[in-house]
Formats: sequence, C-alpha cells, structure tokens
Amino acid sequence: MTTSNGAYGNADATTAEKRNMEGTANEAGVASTDESLNARIKTPKSKRPNTWVIIVAVVAVIAIIVGVVAVVNGRNAKQSASNNDTVTIGLKLAPPSLDIRHQSGSAIEQVLIGNVYEGLLSRDSDNAVQPGLAKSWDISKDGKTYTFHLNRNMTFSNGDKLDADDVAWSINQLKEKQYYNANQVESLTKAEAVDANTVRLTLSAPDSNLLWYLTGRPGLVFDKDATYNAKTQAVGSGPYTVESFDSASKMVLKANPNYWGAAHKPATQHVIIDFITDDNAAVNALKSGDVDVLSPVNATLAKSLDPKTYKVSTADGSDKFVLAFNCANSKLKDKRVRQAIRYGINHKEIIASRGGVDAALGGPIPSVDPGYEDLTDLYPYDLDKAKQLMGEAGYSTGKPLKLTLTYANTYGTELGDQLKSQLAKIGIDLNINYVEFSTWLQDVHTNGDYELSLVDHAESHDFYKWTTPDYYFHYDNETVQSLYAKALAATSEKDSAEYLKQAARTVSEDAPADWLFAYRVTVAYNRNIKGFPSKLSQTVLPLWQISKAE
Amino acid sequence: MGFVAKRFGLFVAALFGLSILVFVALRILPGDVAAVMAGTNATAARIAALRTQMGLDRPLIVQYGDWLAGLLHGDLGMSAISGKSVASQVGARAAVTFPLIVLSLIIALLIGLPLGCAAVITRNTRLRGLFHALAIVGGAVPALWSGLLLILLFSRGSGLLPVLPSQGFPNNGWANFGRAAASLVLPALATGITAGAGIMRYTRAALGDAAQSQAVAMAMACGMTRRQALLRVGLRLSLPQLVSVAGLTFAQMVTGVMVVENLFALPGLGAMLVTDVGNRDLIAVQSELFLLAAFFLLLGLVVDMAHRVLDPRLKNASIGSGEVL
Repeated sequence: MTTSNGAYGNADATTAEKRNMEGTANEAGVASTDESLNARIKTPKSKRPNTWVIIVAVVAVIAIIVGVVAVVNGRNAKQSASNNDTVTIGLKLAPPSLDIRHQSGSAIEQVLIGNVYEGLLSRDSDNAVQPGLAKSWDISKDGKTYTFHLNRNMTFSNGDKLDADDVAWSINQLKEKQYYNANQVESLTKAEAVDANTVRLTLSAPDSNLLWYLTGRPGLVFDKDATYNAKTQAVGSGPYTVESFDSASKMVLKANPNYWGAAHKPATQHVIIDFITDDNAAVNALKSGDVDVLSPVNATLAKSLDPKTYKVSTADGSDKFVLAFNCANSKLKDKRVRQAIRYGINHKEIIASRGGVDAALGGPIPSVDPGYEDLTDLYPYDLDKAKQLMGEAGYSTGKPLKLTLTYANTYGTELGDQLKSQLAKIGIDLNINYVEFSTWLQDVHTNGDYELSLVDHAESHDFYKWTTPDYYFHYDNETVQSLYAKALAATSEKDSAEYLKQAARTVSEDAPADWLFAYRVTVAYNRNIKGFPSKLSQTVLPLWQISKAE
Repeated sequence: MGFVAKRFGLFVAALFGLSILVFVALRILPGDVAAVMAGTNATAARIAALRTQMGLDRPLIVQYGDWLAGLLHGDLGMSAISGKSVASQVGARAAVTFPLIVLSLIIALLIGLPLGCAAVITRNTRLRGLFHALAIVGGAVPALWSGLLLILLFSRGSGLLPVLPSQGFPNNGWANFGRAAASLVLPALATGITAGAGIMRYTRAALGDAAQSQAVAMAMACGMTRRQALLRVGLRLSLPQLVSVAGLTFAQMVTGVMVVENLFALPGLGAMLVTDVGNRDLIAVQSELFLLAAFFLLLGLVVDMAHRVLDPRLKNASIGSGEVL
C-alpha cells in the first residue's frame, strides 16, 4: 500500500532541488519537471552584471588614477626642476638637534658651522685656518696671548649687533659651562673684549692647535642677548637661517637677509638638506631629481650614475676606522699579540671589498692633518710573521686566543666578519659583539670594558686621544705624551708638525690599535650644480657658494 | 552598557600596568642619553654633568612619578635630544604612518577579501591550487623586496614606467595633497600585497569553516545557491573573525611598515622609535611606546565593540568570551 505521492513528496523533486542548489551553471534555469516546485525556486532578484564589465571598469579606474597621478607628478617635477633658487642636498647623517653647544656628532658641525653659526675663525676645504668673524690676529712671542681684530658692523640674524662682547662672552661661557669640545681648548684661561672690535685670549701654555680648534665649536660666537630654544632654533650670524628642521627628514635653510658679510652672500635663496639614511634610497633620490647633491654616496652604487649628468668625486678626509686594542686588557698587554694582529690584517682586501676607494692608513694622523706621514710600511700584511709572533706569545691555530670585538651596528656586519676570518688564520678566535651605538658608548667608551673595538674616529686634529691615558684606548706612553706637549708648545708650524710625526710613528710602532683604512668620502652631484666643495664636505660645507644653473 | 563600562575599566587598568612595564623595561637598556649627547670626545666628568642637568641621576621612582603625573595631565614630556614635545613629534610622524597604514590596509582588503572568497567559492581544483599558491607566495614576499621591485618598475627617475615618486615625503607635507598621497602609493602597495595575502588566507579559512556550518546548509536548504549562501550567510558568520584579523593587521602594520618607510625614506613612527631608542632618549621613547600601546588597546576595544554589533549572539556574553586582542 504505497503511494507515489507520500508525506515526503516526490522523490524526484528532492534530487532536482539539490542539484539546483549546487548548480552554479544554470541558476535561473528550469531544474525540475514538476511545475509546482519550479514555481517555488528562488531566482536572483537582479541580473548579475557581466564579470567582464566589472574587470573593464576596474582597469579603467586604475588607469585613470595612474594617469592623473602621473600628470600631477609631471607638473610638480617640472616646477621643482625650473626652481633654481633652491638647491637640495642629500646627506646621510642628520643632527639630532640644533644644539651645537651640547650635542655631539660631526653632522651638526657640517650643517651649522659657517652656514648658520660662525666662528672667530673659519676653515677652508684644505683644512687650513682662514679668517672668520675676526679678519686678522696677532700672537704674542711667548704664544700665550692671542689678539683678534674683528670685522666691523656685524649682526646676528635677529638684527642684534655682534661685537667683541659677544665673542668674549661665548668663549667664557664655553669654559664655564664646559660645552662640547671645551676640552680641546683646555689651555685657554680667559677671553676679554679690549674694545668693541678687539678680543684678547689668554692661555696658560702655548697651544699650536688653538687657531684650528677655534675654527670649530670652541670658536663659535652666540648672541648673548638672545633667548631661544637652542635645540629647535638657531640664532647665528651666518649667511643662512634655519627655517625648519626635522632630524628624520629635512632641514630647510633660507638666506639670511641681515647677513653682514658681503664676500659670502648666498648664491641660492633656499637650501634644503634631506637626510637619507638608506644608500639605495639616496641614489634613487638623486636619479629622480629629488636631490641635486649626495654627500656621501655609496662608492659602489655611485658607479651606476651616468657621468654625463652627474659628477662623482672622491677625496681624502679625516675619518679613521680604528680597530683599538684595549691596552689595559691582560691578553692585549702582550705587544706581540697586538703586532701579530696588525701583520695579520689584509687591508687591501678590506678596502677592495668596500669599493676600492678608501685609503690605507698606518697611523693615528690622517692625511689632511699636520704631522701626517705614510706609515703603512710599519706593519705590512705578513701572515708568517704574524703566526710567528702569535707562536711566541703561546698561541696557534690549534690553540687559538679568544678575543671579543665590540662595535656598533652602524658600520655593517661585513667588517667584523672579514676580521674574524682573517684573524682565524693567525690563531685568533674572534667573537663579534655587534651592538647598538649607545651600548658601545656605554661599554667601550665610558666604561672602557672591552678587548677589541672598532669605530670611525671622524674628527681632525684628535691626536690628543693617544696622550690621554683615561681615554678608552687606555694608551699610556710618556714618550708620546712629551712629544705631543712639545708639538703644542712649538711656535713654528713646521716644528710642531715634526714632533707630531715622531709621536704618531711611536704610537703606530707600539701597535695600540690598527688603522683599518682612512674612509674617503665620495660625493655625487648633478652637473648643473656649481660650487660644491670637492674636499672635506663632511666637515666643512660652505653652502653660500653653491648654486644651480638654469 | 555594563559591558562597555567594564571593558573601559579594564582598558584603564591595562594602561596603568603598561606605564610601569614600559618604564621598567627601558631602564634595563645599557647606555644613556647623556653619553650619546656627549659623544666620543667626552670626558667622564662631562657625561656626569649632563646627567645631572637632565635629571637622570634622580631616583627612578621619582622619575616615574614625574612622568606619570605628566601623563595624567596629558603632558607626554619633551625629548631630551631634539627639545621638541613628544606629542608634536608623534603627531608629525603619525601624519605619515597612519595614512600609509590605512592605504595599505585598504589595498590588503581589496586584494585579500575577494581572492579569499573566490578561493572558497570556486569548485575548480586547479583554480583553488592557484589561489593557494598565490596566498603562500604573496605572504612570503618580504615587503622590502616587493618595495625594491616596485621602485624598479614605477619610481620616477629610475623606474621602467616612471609615474610615482619613490623617495621621501613632500616638503610641505599634506598641504600638497596630490604629491603627499602619490608618495604613499608605492610603499602602501609594497606592504598591502604581503598583508593582503595574509588576509586572503584568513578569509579562506574563515569562509571555509562557515561553508561547513549548518547555517550555510540551512540557507541552501531554503533555496539559496551555494555562492549566495556563502556570500550572504557564510561571510556574515565569518565577519567577526575578519574584523579581528583586520584589527590585528592594522596593529602589526604600525611597526611592520617600518622597513618600507626606511626604503622609501618616509619620516614615520617606526623610524622615530628606532632613532629615539638608539639615542636612549628614554623620556621620549616611553611616552611614544605608551601612546602606541594605548592605541593597540583602543583598537582591541573597538574590535570587541564591533564584535557585539556584528554578532548578536554575544549580547549576553560576559567579558572574556568575545575578546580577540
């Protein structure tokens, strides 16, 4: 007694509906032969637009956006290209603030000295002393009294008068508050204004470096009557004023309308300094015209620049990559170990791997400083000699000496890896401690707690670090100290340089460090830029002379 | 209402805990801002003098009290190095990073959602395989690499199709809207592609689960086609999960876009944090971290609220059951 139309309906209908639910091909199609079921099938309310129409619409929208963006950009690019009262310079390192009296680093000096702040004296691109706010000076016979004759009618960017009072106040403040680099002019006891245009400096002992140091931070002159936040603002007497500054992106400098010096009138109204840390990003910025100058540029990447459009040049500087050996450490007290390391390092290989532009350096004085001589032949690359010295000290490749190299991650891992593999050959098992710069400062520089350290000592005229035993080198040699004292006391430049030469040679022979290389800065700029200094642009960057041709 | 109040109480308590955690964690770092400011020429006496001047030699509990009192007044403090207020510093960077994140997220959603849905809807096994491969490859591409590729292809100056700027942010910021927006397109694409692949995987998984659920079967039983059932019922079911994923992706991007910001020379939040930690500018860093953490917590709060709106079943649930962040 079965009926075909029972409580569960037509067996056929269920399968048909299931097929319909899953079927995507004919959604609106007729799925069942049963008319009553077909009538209950839900059909999509609206017709689905064709997929192709959607795709075409999307492509069209994207094309329009790209087109509009391209046009807008093209217009902007043309605007900036025709803008020849603005020069844009790409630098790698940004000053963290504008506070040149407190904040360390060469970046702040490079940007501000000579451009925004001016010193009693200035420095040219050959690292020689030139007049600054002072047009001339006399030195007493005993070398203890310096008299500076100032230029007339000088003003600060805020309109205040700049005279001998400001100069004397700035230098006395430096000494009293122990501003940055005050230790460079320790022998200076006081500054006094003789009259409105004359300043007299009194020294406790002659110092042949004094004039050069006065071209840097110790010689800077500030407005004694002005109050401003020195970290974010700058009131100086230079040809430019700081319009805006953000250490993460850029500094905008504007020509100072009140500038007193007719000789250094800015050639360009606006200078924008872009801070670009990434090397690739920097080269892309130059190629796209976002910057006109790159200083420095990665030497390897610079090879991809078209020489017709860009000028690429490399020059000597004062950067010394110093692999310091902690002379107070028990393992490194042994001179043979220190000498072995110096013989065991293949400087040519290291320099070649960095693009081949850096120079070998055999001692503590760089080629741009007085007292330089080529000392690279003192410790030439000599594996046999290095192994022999290590053997005498009691180590071999089978029984290696364990040492730790601590250095900051700003320098790249390659240097440590290279040293590790080179020193492995002479029986040194080098452990690399790759740290943040601030950790390096704490552990190595402040606490002196290290075995080997690697850092770029960028400053010029910094031989005093080898005569100060509490500096982190812990290098204490009386011969060197007395030679340096003689160099400072010498009243003739030639004698002074001669003493420095002897001192540098003694230091190098003693092997308290190895000088891996002298970093040579490569700069690249568009050929329509005129007046960019070919040398020492990392420390002396006179912006007033830079201009851009139509 | 009770839920909102409780959730908010939790938010405030978490903020307080965070302030302690951030403060203590940062003091463990070696080195200090005085040494960084004094540099490699400094004598020990000079560093000590700077420490006193900046108040770093005071007891930690006093320093913490000062900071907390400032926070309660809405004062985030000043950077010891740059001399700018932390609020203005963060504001300036957030004006680059947040638009970049939003743009990246939009791109990621535009890529991830449709592809994820398509991967579930399609019944073609080859197509499924292709989607699968896309999700894996897309997710494995580092933003740094895709960024470099995008520069090679589209950057003005050196690209094959030079249409977009690839370096830096315009001098006058958002005042020049066209240029500012254009400079964010390539970096947003670079991060958006990677994040999009992630969202695609999540969408596929969530919708795939929903496809097995009885709700979808029911919808089909009521006469919807499979595609309709998945898109109308399944997607709605998986929406709370997807909102969480979008929230998480957003949070991750705050630091995730850092690499890309560096590559495209954009002055964003990530670069700021790295620089400030490097300088041991701890007052700035702790306020910045606090702000970021507060933002993450807020994001969690918003996601939770969104869950309640999107999923009526949670109306009577207590705290803890619906939280994702």
